[in-house]
Amino acid sequence: MAVAEQSVQAVTRPSLWQRAWGGLAVLFASKIAVIGLIIVLFWIVVAILAPVLTPYSSTAQDYKAQNSPPSAAHILGTDDLGRDIWSRLIYGARVVLVMLPVGEHFWLPVGTAIWGVLLGLLIGSTLGLMGGYLGGWIDEVVMRLLDAMMAFPVILLYMIIIAAVGASATNVVLAIAIVGTPGIARLVRSLALDIRTRDYIRAAELRGENPFYIMFIEILPNARGPIIIDAMLRVGYAIFAMGTLGFLGLGLPPPSPDWGSMVAAGRRYILSGSPWAAIWPSLAIASLVVGLNLLADGLREESLRYQ
Amino acid sequence: MAKFILRRLLLMLLTMFLVSVAVFTITTAAPGNVARNVLGIQITAEQEASFLAQNGLDKPMYERYLYWLVGTDWKAAGKVGLPLRQITTPDGFKEWWAVDKDGTLIQWRLESDNLIVRQRQPDGKVIEKTDNARWQVKDPAVEAVRLEKYRAELPRNTQLTEADRQAILQAADQILEILRGKDQSQSALLAALAEPEGTLDALRDPNAPKEKQSLQKAAGDVASNDTLIEAIAVYQRLSSPSASELNLSDLQFMAGQLNRASAKLHDVDAGSAAKLQQAYESLKAGDARAASTTLASLVPTLEQLTGNLGDLTDALQNGNYQAAVNVLRDLGDSAKTPFDAAQLTVLPGSLQAMANAIDDADPKLGDPLLQGVKSLKAGKADDARKAFGQAADVLSGIGPVIARTDAAGQARVGRTFWGIDVQNHAVRWETGSGTEVWVFIQGTGWKAFTGGPMEYIPLQKGLLRGDPGISLRTGRPVADLLFLRLRNSLVLAGTAFVVVMPLALILGIIAGLNEGKSLDRLLSIGGMMFSVTPEFATGIFLILIFAFWLKLVPGATVFGEKAPWTKPEMLILPVMTLALEELGYVLRITRASIVEVMKAPYIRTAFLKGLPYWRVVLKHALRNALMAPITVIMLHVNWLLGGIVVVEVIFGYPGLGSYLLDSAMFKDFNAIEAGAMILVVVAVATQLLADIIYTFINPRIRYA
Repeated sequence: MAVAEQSVQAVTRPSLWQRAWGGLAVLFASKIAVIGLIIVLFWIVVAILAPVLTPYSSTAQDYKAQNSPPSAAHILGTDDLGRDIWSRLIYGARVVLVMLPVGEHFWLPVGTAIWGVLLGLLIGSTLGLMGGYLGGWIDEVVMRLLDAMMAFPVILLYMIIIAAVGASATNVVLAIAIVGTPGIARLVRSLALDIRTRDYIRAAELRGENPFYIMFIEILPNARGPIIIDAMLRVGYAIFAMGTLGFLGLGLPPPSPDWGSMVAAGRRYILSGSPWAAIWPSLAIASLVVGLNLLADGLREESLRYQ
Repeated sequence: MAKFILRRLLLMLLTMFLVSVAVFTITTAAPGNVARNVLGIQITAEQEASFLAQNGLDKPMYERYLYWLVGTDWKAAGKVGLPLRQITTPDGFKEWWAVDKDGTLIQWRLESDNLIVRQRQPDGKVIEKTDNARWQVKDPAVEAVRLEKYRAELPRNTQLTEADRQAILQAADQILEILRGKDQSQSALLAALAEPEGTLDALRDPNAPKEKQSLQKAAGDVASNDTLIEAIAVYQRLSSPSASELNLSDLQFMAGQLNRASAKLHDVDAGSAAKLQQAYESLKAGDARAASTTLASLVPTLEQLTGNLGDLTDALQNGNYQAAVNVLRDLGDSAKTPFDAAQLTVLPGSLQAMANAIDDADPKLGDPLLQGVKSLKAGKADDARKAFGQAADVLSGIGPVIARTDAAGQARVGRTFWGIDVQNHAVRWETGSGTEVWVFIQGTGWKAFTGGPMEYIPLQKGLLRGDPGISLRTGRPVADLLFLRLRNSLVLAGTAFVVVMPLALILGIIAGLNEGKSLDRLLSIGGMMFSVTPEFATGIFLILIFAFWLKLVPGATVFGEKAPWTKPEMLILPVMTLALEELGYVLRITRASIVEVMKAPYIRTAFLKGLPYWRVVLKHALRNALMAPITVIMLHVNWLLGGIVVVEVIFGYPGLGSYLLDSAMFKDFNAIEAGAMILVVVAVATQLLADIIYTFINPRIRYA
């Protein structure tokens, strides 16, 4: 129907600015989404500004102040090695949201969690498109492989992958991508199965386009809506997963500030009376995932309302 | 319906096969080294190889996968030539035995060159007998080549007396002739070899191999206990050509040895002690060359102080008895060892350790040594010299016997035999092959043997027959511990399930019926917050609130040998953590389902008929609305398992999840693989169950 109306009216496409404003309007219509957005933006901003916001480095140790409660010098207190918790939190947020440390002195923009989801999207949508569009035995093989991957309890898959390749930021990206792949592939496959029956695909096939052109240029852009919402939720899962991996000792290797491993180290001192090192990173990760979910929830609710 | 279930079951088998291959490949191909995890980082390459061989980890991957799946006993039975049987002893240990032709259970062990058969009696006692008749002669062509090479080396063996050498050479020539002869059947070879090997056996002293080992061990004990000898060894390592391969942690370790040596010398020879300290500082800073130069000037003093005990231990370890005799003679020579004050403070201690060790092994040699030490301590230098001279005489008598026995043993033709050992392996034993094998012996540590076990097949029944093998971490069967842990995890998950389901369904229904109102907002956002917060954060908050501030319940679980339900108060927090995690998820699904159903035309019809509100909800809406949550919950089990791992780690709960995590960190193959298969079966089976339940309660699918 939408296609028919457009062809009759031949409307001009709304400008990029208008479309962005439309999206923001949807967002601001939901109070929940706004709260989520504020929380997420808070973490992104402190992560970007981390060097400005704290005088301490994330690894500087102060043997005179171990496990100290919040004070003027250390606003959130210090951990068991006398490291400033606030600095570790915001540098930890950097690794999650704004930079991916690859080597000792080299890092990529955009955080570890997001890279994991992006890589998962790449592999997952390729597999999903191949299964959904090409069909036949390729579909059968891809689906059996995905079934086997889905049968793995997620945590086991994480443990085996990290135990196999070792703990580092790049390997966490890899693990998040591999674990996310089957879900994304299934979603993309179902969308591809639907879209491939459309007339414009038939037209492209008649033009003699190559199947990869049809898969990536014709089908994928037309399936973007659900994929984007799914990806936003997946960023939440990825942060959840990063925290859990760090907590289990499978995350970033020790001195790097990792929320999960901060909790794991801090929890040993809870019952001896210094709970701060465990409380703050727990609160940080909880607030970030809750914020992301509030944002995604609000967006989904509002976008459903206008459909 | 039956067809559908059958199809799903087949697919499940296929999935499990794929998963098992994947788990196996990933864990096997993973870098890192399980031998180092088990035995510590200081093991040598030979020890590592031996460990891997004993656990069957040296075989190619496809072979290991096959063995893991279907077991190894059938293959081992073929090699041994007797059927094998696994029995459970009254103590609960599982043991493998071969079944002899008359039905008795037998195992073997090797004692120097003798095969000992262990026959298990019906009452559980074991009778041991020599069983050399089972040996098979090794491939004559291969043995001929080895023997020829050995024969060429014999004239260079300085430890042998000339008469012995000639006798051995002669026998070796005869044997070589037989090996190159025409009739190479086992019986003919054995018959022909009887005569020359009889000559060789006459030259061998049955006690000599044991004595050789004990002397080696005694020397090794002293070498690793005496700090001054260690300091000399440090110099030798630093000045050897391989010094450049030493890494920083090696240097640090050696620095520690120098430091101890320096402390020992402090009161005796302050100058040398200071020099040692200087070498220690350089080594600690990583400067091996400087340390080596400093030590070079010290070594003669150290050697003099220790009376060349370092040379003695080296000689005993390498079987160079003439050199050892010379050292002892030097100790007995007043010109060479004056027994001055410095020596008298250092030497008796080192010598005492050595004399004790040797006395345990061989009193004949140990007694004069002990006597000498005693005299030294009493200050009677002359008596001591006499005693050391006696010891030298004794050793010069023992040395050639050991050397002769060794040489004659190596000139024999190697034998080989496949049998079952006492540690549940099928083993190929060999004698006289001249290869060194490292074997780990409980209580004594690693030992090098010539001959002995050459190839291992660890015995197991295989996963398909319910035996996933031995845990490398604990050395006990995986199955024993796995089921205990699985039970604990099921208790935890089951309790959480029972607590959370009714609560979540009721809250979900309430939220769904109040769609859009503030109660709904509160419930669904609150539920979402709990379900998206990672379990470890939720767990920490709960511990803080209930264990740290309110002090109502314990914040960790300690069960020891007891079952979890014997201490229910310790289950409260883990169950709460899991339950909160699940609560939000189930609540939201129930809510969505109720909202959808309440909008259906048939519900509107029911209202329009004038039915009371609760009647519509309970009778008309609920049945349809609960269909989705019940099946979706089943699909969620996969996710729940992840939560269980984290919860078990937070609270130290002895369940399957923490077991798997530990095994994964340790690269304990058999345990990870078995645990993974259990988790996969649980996950796949619940998915299958969900499908079946859904088909049953939804007629639209059943009749489609």
